[in-house]
Amino acid sequence: MGRPPLVVVFVAILVIALGELGGAVLSQLRPATARWAAARVAANPQAHGLTGAAEYDETVRAQAVFATEAGLSFFHTHAEGTGLVLFFAATLVASLVRRRATRAALYALLTMGALFPLGYLVYAFAVLRLGRDAGVEFAEAWVLTPLGSSAILGLIGLAVVLASPRGAPEVPAGR
Amino acid sequence: MESWRLPPRAVLLAAVLLLVTAEIGGASMSRYKLELARWARTGMLAHPAVHGLVGVRDVDEQALDEALFRFDTGLRLFHMHAEGMALVVLATTTVAATLARTTVTRRALIVLLTVGGVGYPLGYLIWSALIPSYGVERGKAIAEWLVWIPFGGATIVALLWLAALTAARMLRR
Repeated sequence: MGRPPLVVVFVAILVIALGELGGAVLSQLRPATARWAAARVAANPQAHGLTGAAEYDETVRAQAVFATEAGLSFFHTHAEGTGLVLFFAATLVASLVRRRATRAALYALLTMGALFPLGYLVYAFAVLRLGRDAGVEFAEAWVLTPLGSSAILGLIGLAVVLASPRGAPEVPAGR
Repeated sequence: MESWRLPPRAVLLAAVLLLVTAEIGGASMSRYKLELARWARTGMLAHPAVHGLVGVRDVDEQALDEALFRFDTGLRLFHMHAEGMALVVLATTTVAATLARTTVTRRALIVLLTVGGVGYPLGYLIWSALIPSYGVERGKAIAEWLVWIPFGGATIVALLWLAALTAARMLRR
């Protein structure tokens, strides 16, 4: 099987490593993370619409902390997955796509797509800074949607090339 | 075209066996759900002090449900992590086999990635198995020190090393 360029391999390994590290940090520092997130909410009352009513504020704080923890948890799971997707898809590109320009375009799209989990880190921090709804919207609009779309386009592109009789060399049956 | 070098056959075998174990684990969780829950519950009832059982049905049922939920979670996490880590082992040892130039570095990376990757998910299985006798938190602490920290640590160190090695190769070109 062909090997993709080193920069693509580097991004794949780095994303997997960050995913592993994120999982370990989340598991070991969960109480500290929750405390820190709650403190950030309290320090930013306007963005979170805190009113001073203890019961209401506690609900808002709990929802924001939950969203932050969910963002960190999604970062861990998605980074493990997208790093592997980049590794295997880029290996297919290196092995089966003939045209250099097409290969370069697919590498670029797939590599950008592998960075998709970073959107969940942005999500976790933006929720605390901008409030839950505005933070989620920010992460979705500026990071998750563009990088996710890049991954989808890259995979569709690879599928189109593989389906096209002129795009990829014949893969011997049974190998 | 530059190509990948495969890692040693033993590494491929370990990764495939982990995948098989993960699949069997997932299937067994679904097929033997009742039997597994019954086994765990019997174990918990045999260790009432560990689970804070007081002999009052309403209180005890809540404690048992909570512990059973964690028992089930451990099995699920084993299934998911074993599937994922088997692929991580395949991908990362392939990179190590191809890009590490010296034999010592290559061997060290492949050993750390394989042992860490295969061992780590077993911690979830051990956690689940320990819950009936040791309780949720004590079982978790044992699995953490026995499996998650050493094996997960090995994987993280090896992955960061591999990323640095790949970056160095990239910059040298």
